[in-house]
Amino acid sequence: MLEGLLPMFKELDPILHSQLRLAVMSLLIGVKEADFTFIREKTNATAGNLSVQVQKLRDAGYIDVVKQFKDNYPQTTCKITSQGVKAFEEYVKTLQQYLKTGS
Amino acid sequence: MSEEKKLTEQESLQLIADMIKKAKGSYHDTGIGSLLWGSVVSIASFVTYLQSVYKFSIGFDIWLIVVAAIVPQIFLAAREKKQTRAKQYDDDTVNAVWLVFGITIFGLSFYQAVIPDATTRLIHSNGWELIKRYTDGSKPDEVLKPFAPSLYSIYLLLYAFPTLVTGIVKKFRPMVVGALLSYIMFIISCFTATNYDMLLGAFTAIVCWFIPGIILRRKYLAGRAAANV
Repeated sequence: MLEGLLPMFKELDPILHSQLRLAVMSLLIGVKEADFTFIREKTNATAGNLSVQVQKLRDAGYIDVVKQFKDNYPQTTCKITSQGVKAFEEYVKTLQQYLKTGS
Repeated sequence: MSEEKKLTEQESLQLIADMIKKAKGSYHDTGIGSLLWGSVVSIASFVTYLQSVYKFSIGFDIWLIVVAAIVPQIFLAAREKKQTRAKQYDDDTVNAVWLVFGITIFGLSFYQAVIPDATTRLIHSNGWELIKRYTDGSKPDEVLKPFAPSLYSIYLLLYAFPTLVTGIVKKFRPMVVGALLSYIMFIISCFTATNYDMLLGAFTAIVCWFIPGIILRRKYLAGRAAANV
């Protein structure tokens, strides 16, 4: 009954609406690409937890992950995809809608 | 930072703002490149000035140190590339500007070295030559080799170019100030003798690269110290 009276809210993207995944995406939106160690340092996450969340973002198509060897050490580089940028922008728009209505 | 924690809308926006700020603050030039080029160009300019004013020679072309500085620069660039953990969108652009600047400077040096003889040959083939005539008639006329007058002014103009681009793109005020001072030095150099242009060049290299290099180095070392705490 209240449907017509309340503003229509979009669902917040569940992939992005989690602290660590949102932090990773917010970092990657500001750079061209970043090492796994850089992301871990900036988010203060554990390697295991970060690894799982990076994998979820990759599965969603939001980031590209390239694993390679650099000077005999494994190096993982992450980069946001155009699909990821779109999802991030959509997420921020929806957040703003929520906040506008809440204020 | 945990994955499970659900965020309120305000917390989400705050987190996004914090992370974007952290990513932007991750640009840390080591400052070594700026210090290197600021040193060699200011030393070469200043020694050239001293040699011309006090009429002595150090026995070799001091500008060879600028050519020699390419070797450590290649080594530094390779090392910094290895150490870079996050690449900014504008890094490639800024690097390209400095590369083109380097090529232009060496092109101009080549021009400076080749043009006098090449022009002499060309005008000789046309059957004429340049003559230097003393207006007071105190000395006989001399054959003159063509040269580009006050060419170092053009170098000063060029020094400002990549410095100003980097300063604006990276929002690094010391380089913007250095570049603006460089333009002032360029204007002054248009009215001074070539040996004084060299003195202005030494000052320009110090304000464009050496001083910003010290500031970058301090910032870089402070950032590393903070990361190791």
